[in-house]
Amino acid sequence: MGEPILDIAGYSLDYATPTGFTRALDDVTLAIAKGEVLGLVGESGSGKTSLAWAIMRHLPKSAREAGSIRLTGQDLLKASEAEIEAIRGRRIGMVFQDPSTSLNPTLPLGEQLAEVLVRHRSLSRKQAWAEGEERLAHVGLKVPRQMMRRYPHEASGGEKQRVVIATAFACQPECIIFDEPTTALDVITARQILDLFKALQEETGVASLYISHDLALVSQIATRVAVIHRGRIVEQGGVGEVFARPQDAYTQRLLAAVPRPDHRLVEAAPETAGKPLVEVEKVSVLYGRKPFLGRLLGRANTQFTGNREVSLSVKPGEILGIVGESGSGKSTLAKAMTGLNRFEGEIRFAGRRITGLSDMDRAYRRDVQIIFQHPDSSLNPRQRIREILSRPLALYGEPGARKDAAAIGALLEQVRLPASYAERYPHQLSGGEKQRVAIARAFASRPKLVICDEITSALDVSVQASVIELLVDLQKRFGTAYLFITHDLNLVRQIAHRIAVMYRGDLVDLIDVAALSGADLHPYTRSLLAAVPAPATAAA
Amino acid sequence: MSPSYVLKRILLIGYTLLVVSLIVFAITQVLPADAAVMMLGENATPDALAALRAKMGLNDPIWMQYLHWLSGVVRGDFGVSMRTGQPVAPVMLEALGRSLLLALFSITLMLLVAIPLGIVAAVRRGRAADLGVGFLSYVGVSLPEFVTATLIVLLFADWLQWLPATGYVPLTEDPLRGLKHLVLPVLTVSLILIAHVSRMVRSELVDVLHSDYIRAARLKGLSKRQVLFKHALRNALLPTITIVALDVGYLLGGVIVVEEIFALPGIGRQLIVAIQARDLPSIQAGALIMATTYAVANFLADIAYAWLDRRIQYD
Amino acid sequence: MIEILRRMLRSPQGALGLVIVGLILLVVIVGPAFAPYDPEKMAPLMRYKPPSAQFWLGTDQYGRDILSRLLHGARATVLLAVLATALGTLVGAVVGTVSAFLGGRSDEAIMRTVDAIMSIPSLLLALLIVNLLGKSSLNALFAIALAFAPGMARVTRSVALSVRKQDYVNAAIARGESAAFIVGREMLPNVIAPIIVEMTIRVAFAVMLFATLSFLGLGAQPPASEWGLMVSEARRFMHLSPWMILWPSLAVALVAIGFNLLGDGLRDVLNPRS
Repeated sequence: MGEPILDIAGYSLDYATPTGFTRALDDVTLAIAKGEVLGLVGESGSGKTSLAWAIMRHLPKSAREAGSIRLTGQDLLKASEAEIEAIRGRRIGMVFQDPSTSLNPTLPLGEQLAEVLVRHRSLSRKQAWAEGEERLAHVGLKVPRQMMRRYPHEASGGEKQRVVIATAFACQPECIIFDEPTTALDVITARQILDLFKALQEETGVASLYISHDLALVSQIATRVAVIHRGRIVEQGGVGEVFARPQDAYTQRLLAAVPRPDHRLVEAAPETAGKPLVEVEKVSVLYGRKPFLGRLLGRANTQFTGNREVSLSVKPGEILGIVGESGSGKSTLAKAMTGLNRFEGEIRFAGRRITGLSDMDRAYRRDVQIIFQHPDSSLNPRQRIREILSRPLALYGEPGARKDAAAIGALLEQVRLPASYAERYPHQLSGGEKQRVAIARAFASRPKLVICDEITSALDVSVQASVIELLVDLQKRFGTAYLFITHDLNLVRQIAHRIAVMYRGDLVDLIDVAALSGADLHPYTRSLLAAVPAPATAAA
Repeated sequence: MSPSYVLKRILLIGYTLLVVSLIVFAITQVLPADAAVMMLGENATPDALAALRAKMGLNDPIWMQYLHWLSGVVRGDFGVSMRTGQPVAPVMLEALGRSLLLALFSITLMLLVAIPLGIVAAVRRGRAADLGVGFLSYVGVSLPEFVTATLIVLLFADWLQWLPATGYVPLTEDPLRGLKHLVLPVLTVSLILIAHVSRMVRSELVDVLHSDYIRAARLKGLSKRQVLFKHALRNALLPTITIVALDVGYLLGGVIVVEEIFALPGIGRQLIVAIQARDLPSIQAGALIMATTYAVANFLADIAYAWLDRRIQYD
Repeated sequence: MIEILRRMLRSPQGALGLVIVGLILLVVIVGPAFAPYDPEKMAPLMRYKPPSAQFWLGTDQYGRDILSRLLHGARATVLLAVLATALGTLVGAVVGTVSAFLGGRSDEAIMRTVDAIMSIPSLLLALLIVNLLGKSSLNALFAIALAFAPGMARVTRSVALSVRKQDYVNAAIARGESAAFIVGREMLPNVIAPIIVEMTIRVAFAVMLFATLSFLGLGAQPPASEWGLMVSEARRFMHLSPWMILWPSLAVALVAIGFNLLGDGLRDVLNPRS
């Protein structure tokens, strides 16, 4: 390893709060050399983003620091504001998480790239635009000249992130910080951005700090990895080494929590001979309505399709995974099945035919429950947990069954929460705890089918693992069938018996989990499989 | 922005004016005033009254009267004033011109003062300048026009005796005296607008300064000044357009009081006179003209906003 | 409730607003009992007096004590404004909720009509209505309520629509709850807080609007001691005694500032997640 480009030594960061100081980073020491990619892995609140702001010298006034951050020998903590402004964008670049918020909506993309060249390389505006065009071509944008003039809303997420990357590389910086650059993108787009990153990294040899929560992804692109937990670097070393032989207990837990397709969490599928619990027959959902004026002007109607003739079935006790990118119609189907969307076609449940809202009677509502993605939205902020859990008991509890505090306590304990949580409000709980409450609510009526709509995608890996474990456990205990909707292919391969793949409203594949490795797949399913990084070698 | 969006907005103005005309006509028709008695006086003979009623169409069913009135309005004929016997439309439009002059000066002054104030307050958030602007805008928003106007008259016309307290001189007649008479009304109206708009500019700008793309711009090495003027302001000022247009609605209500206090013969004062005299055609014309002005201002603001902010996709 | 008060007191805006509005309400309730003189007692020898130990705020053109008139007038000014706002809010909330509930074309039709009505300035609408009903405090109250209703309908509808989109409402629908339960227990508690905030701020406008109507001679009628009317009457004598016009003007402004501050303070406090 040569002379490090970025050298952080004994760096600590505290924020002043009314009640004293809170520690964000504790004695962080790490170095990145030319040509190296250091993956910084941590969960939310671990301090990984604070470290990025500290390197960029973008800290609030309440920050107190100790230690040093050196860029090729120069201590950035001692640099003046003017010096820092000359370094940012010129010697250290940054790529942000979400290109839809990190680009100014009212400036053309080209202007946001060209201004960096004008600022740091003293080019004229005209020269900067010409060079900007070349840069955009270089990051794989097909029509760079047009792209320069487009506004952010006129480009796709992947195109915008390419512009951000081109901007970060524009002044040939020595170091670039990548802050979760693919998290906001669809799986396949993320793969393409990752490939672009690799190519540019190899070409320029820039020292890269790649921040991510995704261990599988980091294992693929980083040369070395550092694991951060509660502001401390608990472990760092070569990728192969850390992933194969993690030394720290937290790293081990984190690695164990990563979903692996080869590590199945459920038993074999239930008997195929059994009658299906629910059958979805040619269900279509149309959104929007024909605009009155548009019709007068003879324009095409603006309705769009959420689902197009989707047919599938779920057997009792079966876990059916549904995967697809955002906008593929996964959630639309979930909403149709719970009466939140109008639909055409029919649903058959336990022998009953359901063609619309009015057919969903009390028994159907009791047997089919839904859990939503964001517990912040699905739990009423003005109700205590007790009130939230008492409703399904009041509606569907056995006549004469207990509906008192003991019953609610039992529901909470079933999802491994203390009974004392009954008196709390949702905002007093952590994200994982809130989702457990939502699960408890769904299970209160002893349903036969629970629809899980991306219920772990807002959670950290370790929290996700414990929620999944809970779900698997409940499934074993009650024999509940799940419709498990997710964008995470690795996760669904762990727990589903069969997988349905959706693409732009269509169901393109519905196959047994084992058949995923087979050859007879829809092209979209194949590209989806190719895009998902296989997790690092299993920790033996 | 497509032609169909513009067409839709124009149709909406039509609908707005139809609703307003119905409301205004309904309110004024229920007024306990007999137009014929008002025109001929209490001592008119029953025969003369009956003849006039028949001539004015007062014996027709109410919806016939409405349609009759509306068809006149569409042709620009608002009828004849019951107070002066003169056609209403020219008088009202002339008055509107004077009010628009007042509004134009006030909005210009407001923009010149409110935007810099809002920017200073947002940039120096939490400091003395911010608290000062915040305090002044609270006071400004909380003072009714008649109080502001009275205090201003007390200060500039009574104690300092710099400017005339009331009256109006056309600018075409004597530009200097005309302007002098306009200063205090303009000051009153713009003070209230400044209080409102500077607060809006501040809060919009504070939001924008907290956004990801502003941070991204700073981390590209741009200076604070560059980021403020190139990246932040255009995003913060866009919503201000809509707010200014909505303020026109307030302005139109406010001018009623301000014109009354400063004896400025604009549309607001004409309306007060008409209301006090129960001069139905004038009331109807004044109210409709005000609503039209407001609807048109909003329409222009929406179009300008849509044109400036390309994010918005109108169908 | 206690908790809300405690949190209000922690923000400077909320605390100041709470103190001012508290004082105003105190004056409304017990003010007349503390008035040193009869507010309508004329004293020809004591006209246009500046503030003194005898008359703290001076006297008016009939020699009436201004402080006593202000203390008595608080009821007429503040109480009517609060009632008018409450009435307007109620009407607006019903229209807004119904519109949000119906959705689709009915919603669009209702909201376009509300927009149309809002293109008449509220002062003008109030003037027209008072003119229709006749000059009096009660009619001014109705006029202000009607003038506020469209704006409140808009606010209520947008709040109700954003609550309607939340997943806890979806969860309740999927659970098979009745419409009454969903509206009453899931939506209403989340809709009410922003409406209370909006209403508080509008009380400030109502005080100003009511005073303005009185000022134009269409609200309270002499010899009432409504503050706007006091300003209107004092204007003719402002050369003789500026105090006469200053005190009621300041009183109107203070009430408006108090309710504005209180509203802004409440907005911060009533957010359940803050």
